[in-house]
Amino acid sequence: MPEMGAGKVERFALVDVNSFYVSCERAFDPSLELKPVVVLSNNDGCVVARSNEAKALGIENGDPWFKLAADAKRTGLIQRSSNYELYGDLSSRVMELLGRYSFSQEVYSIDESWLVLRGTPEELVRTGAEIKAAVALHTGLPVCVGIAPTKTLAKFVNRVAKQNPALRGVCSWDTLPSAHAEAIMSRVPVTGIWGIAGRLGKKLNALGIFTIADLKAADPVVMRKKFSVLMQRTIMELNGIPCIPLETEVATKRQLIFSRSFSTPVTTAARMHEVMAIYAQQAAIRLAKDSQQARLITCFAGTSHFNDRAASFPSVAVKLPAPTADPVLLTKAATRAWRAGLWMASRTPAPVSC
Amino acid sequence: MGVMVVSALDLDGLNLQGPLCSPVAVPAGFPSPAQDYFTGRIDLNKHLIRDITCTFLVRVSGHSMDGAGIADGDELVVDRSLTPADGNVVVAIIDGELTVKRLRLEHGRVRLAAENPEYPDVVICELSELSIWGVVTRCLHHV
Ligand SMILES: [Mg+2]
Repeated sequence: MPEMGAGKVERFALVDVNSFYVSCERAFDPSLELKPVVVLSNNDGCVVARSNEAKALGIENGDPWFKLAADAKRTGLIQRSSNYELYGDLSSRVMELLGRYSFSQEVYSIDESWLVLRGTPEELVRTGAEIKAAVALHTGLPVCVGIAPTKTLAKFVNRVAKQNPALRGVCSWDTLPSAHAEAIMSRVPVTGIWGIAGRLGKKLNALGIFTIADLKAADPVVMRKKFSVLMQRTIMELNGIPCIPLETEVATKRQLIFSRSFSTPVTTAARMHEVMAIYAQQAAIRLAKDSQQARLITCFAGTSHFNDRAASFPSVAVKLPAPTADPVLLTKAATRAWRAGLWMASRTPAPVSC
Repeated sequence: MGVMVVSALDLDGLNLQGPLCSPVAVPAGFPSPAQDYFTGRIDLNKHLIRDITCTFLVRVSGHSMDGAGIADGDELVVDRSLTPADGNVVVAIIDGELTVKRLRLEHGRVRLAAENPEYPDVVICELSELSIWGVVTRCLHHV
């Protein structure tokens, strides 16, 4: 990103809500503070989110509640059913609030947003702290902020902020002592970096690349030949060269696109149904805001763009009986289209839009 | 008085564009043309909500705030971002529960006052132990 004179820089900030679903539950039920809490999926009662205290008990996502219930009395573990309407509402508040801090925002997932910030490194750390305080004050949700010259590094320092309470939720690549950064990078497995999934990690391990520092030191051109341009970009981004731009939403008079990625792939029909419902409602809100109506809904999904094997990008379109911005009708249409057309087409979809 | 969040007010959703008249003071004495009383539609979202990101609607249960005009079953508009001041009706966190009370900041101590003689006040000795969830800005009273 450009240097701007007078010590000012332009940086990516990644703002990410800590344990989002659990934090949403806590925002309305303070008795859950500091206690081990899990949020369960509505259909099969498996863990979909954990508080740090629940993680410390060794509970994993996907654990069925019936297996945890027996021990819950002893450990003090509390369960809540997922309430996606609530999470969607709090998410839109957070995103709206974050948008006030930047001229350029990319909502990346239900609980993560990219912002572009300008200022001196010290100013940006202060802005990060302001953002964290504002989100806590307005919504009751805790966030961490990572600030860096590239998206990949911003993800990395966001994680550093999460794991080091002394940083009080804000970590900037520019002000993090480089010895400290190097120490973390040579300790954290390469799969801890954005875009390097487990399977890719194994391939890298076979080449002697085990940590983030190993990958950072790899030759990007050689790695491009061995893997893909995505790997080359990740390596360059680790070295401070921005390659992955902000993707702001494209909304013209003729079409409105609502597109999000997930930190973990959506793999069940029930979860996909919930996700489709949230997105259709968000799209309806956007339509109403612009005094527009939809005539046609296209739902599309895709595997992660980091998943260069087994890529799949199915889509299906439905014509609505009459132009509408009614969230109920749009939700029905989107979820029906999804069930009818898409589920059989792709077993491992990731981002969905409508 | 306990509370539950009834609706996390939809960003644009709460469709309350109902009343035809915005509240205008009614002058006594002179007849006025109807236009004086009609200033166009009122958007209740704008009327009730200063900032959509921090405004929540909660429904109260109980009678401890009857004297403040807040009855069992009423909905309150709560702004989480306001700094609570002496005399504000607040949603406070007491023993992990959300509770509606009037905040009284007195020399050296904090009192969360009920407005019904049958209910006790809650006295907090240390200001640092006070936890306020939000400040009540409106009561949607069922008449
Ligand atoms: Mg998160």
